Amino acid sequence: MWKFILRRLLVMIPQLFLLSIIVFMMAKAMPGDALSGQEINPRANPAELDRIREELGLNDPWYQQYIRWASNAVQGDFGVSYTHKTPVMDVIEDRLWNTVFLALVTLIFTYMLAIPLGILSGRYNDTWVDKTVTGYSYLGFGTPIFIFALIMLFVFGFALDWFPSGGSVDSKVDEGTFAYVVSKINHLILPALSTALIATTSTIQYLRNEIIDNKIKDFVRTARSKGVPESKVYSRHILRNSFLPIAAFLGYEITGLIGGAVIIETIFSYPGLGQLFLSSVSLRDFSVVTAIVMMTGFATLLGTLLSDIILSAVDPRIRIE
Amino acid sequence: MKIKSYSKVLSALAISSLLLAACSNDTEKSSTKEKKGKDVEQVDTSKFPTKTTNQGEPIEGGHLTYGLVSDTPFEGILNKVFYQGEPDNQVITFFDEDLLDTDENYVYTNEGAASYEISDDHKTVTLTIKDNVNWHDGKPVTGADLEYAYLVMGSKDYKGVRYDEQMALIEGMEEYHEGKADKISGIKVDGKKITFTFKKANPSVTTGLWTYPLHKEYLKDVPIADLESSDKIRKNPIGFGPFKVKKIVQGEAVEFEANKDYYRGEPKLDSVTLKVVNPSVVVKSLENGDLDVAEVLAEQYEQAKELDNVELLGKVELAYTYIGFNFGHYDKEKEENVMDENPKFGDKRLRQAMAYAINNEEVGEKMFKGLRFPANSVITPNFKYNNKDLKAYEYNPEKAKELLDEAGFVDTNNDGIREDADGKEFKINFASMSGSDVSEPLARYYIQQWEQVGLDVELQDGRLHEFNSFYDLLKKDNDKVDIYQAAWGVASDPDPSGIWSRSAEFNYTRWVSEKNDELLAKGISEEAFDDQYRIDTYNEWQELIHEEVPVIPTLFRYQLAGVNERVTGYDYLAGRQYQWHNVGVTK
Repeated sequence: MWKFILRRLLVMIPQLFLLSIIVFMMAKAMPGDALSGQEINPRANPAELDRIREELGLNDPWYQQYIRWASNAVQGDFGVSYTHKTPVMDVIEDRLWNTVFLALVTLIFTYMLAIPLGILSGRYNDTWVDKTVTGYSYLGFGTPIFIFALIMLFVFGFALDWFPSGGSVDSKVDEGTFAYVVSKINHLILPALSTALIATTSTIQYLRNEIIDNKIKDFVRTARSKGVPESKVYSRHILRNSFLPIAAFLGYEITGLIGGAVIIETIFSYPGLGQLFLSSVSLRDFSVVTAIVMMTGFATLLGTLLSDIILSAVDPRIRIE
Repeated sequence: MKIKSYSKVLSALAISSLLLAACSNDTEKSSTKEKKGKDVEQVDTSKFPTKTTNQGEPIEGGHLTYGLVSDTPFEGILNKVFYQGEPDNQVITFFDEDLLDTDENYVYTNEGAASYEISDDHKTVTLTIKDNVNWHDGKPVTGADLEYAYLVMGSKDYKGVRYDEQMALIEGMEEYHEGKADKISGIKVDGKKITFTFKKANPSVTTGLWTYPLHKEYLKDVPIADLESSDKIRKNPIGFGPFKVKKIVQGEAVEFEANKDYYRGEPKLDSVTLKVVNPSVVVKSLENGDLDVAEVLAEQYEQAKELDNVELLGKVELAYTYIGFNFGHYDKEKEENVMDENPKFGDKRLRQAMAYAINNEEVGEKMFKGLRFPANSVITPNFKYNNKDLKAYEYNPEKAKELLDEAGFVDTNNDGIREDADGKEFKINFASMSGSDVSEPLARYYIQQWEQVGLDVELQDGRLHEFNSFYDLLKKDNDKVDIYQAAWGVASDPDPSGIWSRSAEFNYTRWVSEKNDELLAKGISEEAFDDQYRIDTYNEWQELIHEEVPVIPTLFRYQLAGVNERVTGYDYLAGRQYQWHNVGVTK
């Protein structure tokens, strides 16, 4: 087991190296740089702009820039953001926690919805309960998240006014107080719920199909014929087995949430990583773009590793050598 | 979506310059009923009120919520010397300001924190800071503070882009910038007085002198290279404006409290909350009273118009859209624009014909819901320098055809498309920017209209180009681009040299002429300190551009703000937009 983890971690190094080269080259291939789009000031001497470019090293060939960047990155220094004028890691850190909290709450909502609904619809498949749940899943599959989130925002944020309509915290409460925590959570609920209501549908379907598959397996039939009560058949035999793929998916799910919060964060004006990424691309803030891609890349690799570990832990049939 | 903020950055910059702006977010939609068939030549700049009508007494202890409309958080570099994005600038306006105030023509007045005087030879400017102007920590604002701003911007360690050519005109500034001197010899400080001596007289000092000071006492311990990332700029900024920063929630919101010691008198509000709102929810937030003041984008105009509790204020933006012709290239060695010997659009009748062929009145009405209107010139109509006698090229396809016939562009092989004067096939490549829903229909519409007079115009590469790629195309003098549609945001100084002179890299048409050189030079000569002289010069210059049509000015635009009816004393007009001490609430 430990050998396996170590091996996977070692394989990550060339993977990340490749990723970094690709990202870096692609970022540099975008037309323009941080100075060109943001403020071309015709009164400023073009020589002055060139001086700044020279100072920032933007005029060097890409491989020189890459080597400089990579040797710093290995030491955890991703450079300075031109737009934010602070070290990239500071910029990211501010946003990272917002995104992590959002992802966590979303995950909780997703499973709170998926597990009971999936079980209901799998256990009573082809009844009206199942049809309703399946109908909801199809609707969820078909609804674009940006439309759904806007509807949620208008209904619960404006029409009913139950939740705040943007931001991550009320600016009037003081940090460290109980009210601050409450305000944070209050701001999280609506974006998290909007994502969860849509994202949960695939999990519901997985669970439903697993349960239906398992229901007719031999070991279930054996259990039934031994006279095990139906509720126990479900809780002991069917559900346990049906949860395996769901558990294995957890790792992917987390990385997906961290990387895929762009739309939700933009709609709810929630300052997280996704929003930062989008604005950094359009402002050509290369150092932030590369750092975020590297981080999400790393998170994805970790997520898959996590999934494999979970799978081997919960499923005795799978042994990692 | 982000492109919007480019043009905003640009138009709101305090420095006097012409800046690059992108065509931005406007949506195409149904036509509007109002002002159909209005005279094209009449430039109506007063379609919207600029002041709130509420005349009530402001209540004690009032609180106002300001919506910073942006789809990204503000960066939090809260200083005019360092900030990069327009959102940060909006935050700054609440707690800090320039020393000199401007009137509605963007010319400096003596109403603000300082008064100024120009010497008889027009080379020396003296600022005297008023006695009661103090930083929020109680220390007086002095000439040394303003000098410090120049010392920082001229320093090698400064990475911002505010060091401009006008600063370089100050005596000794270049020497300091190159590291040959420790001080700027042309800047003399005496307590609350500061004197600038310029190498040559330039009337642009009355609109474009840098007058934003840095709190030297407070900031001097921080090395210049570290200022932009220091907490003193980002977390605990000190200004001398009507409000003090009380608390910052990074990227999202700022709480302000009144500065009772403000030199123009105590603000009428007790506190202000500024928060970032996504453009898609602005109208709703104005409607339910979450926001008291917020900018309204063109695509929300129709909805915002319907709100009972919100007043819409508007003004003409410092920007124009235009269609430019490609005349040549930029010679990097000589640092000047060079026209081709035989430019494709060398015949001005051809250019005029293309201007007559397009109907901008209809574009403004139908595609932009009346929020844009035909541009008569390349100097925006909110300046007194705009030549009011000039008429925009009116839609007149017959005239266009006539001009083309005259110029020898006739259809020789009867395919419905004109050949050029030598009888050869004549194709035009048109480059235009993407960025809003209306970009594509607009480009197609122009192409269609040119086709109707017999010109074969095609979109460059068959598609629109993203902002950065588009300007990359223009900068590289790509020979494939024959004509292009772009926009300029212009700032407070009317001098158009930055994008029109022979040496300007941003002169993307590469059009040069001796008359043009002469008039531009006259506009910033010492005689031009006489305002009438300057107006006459720019009128003549605009006539030249109108006649020669190196670009077809197409549209001017309105910008809008939604203000809750309980707000009083808010004035959206330039120069007064940020006088927050006047603003109060009556409920």
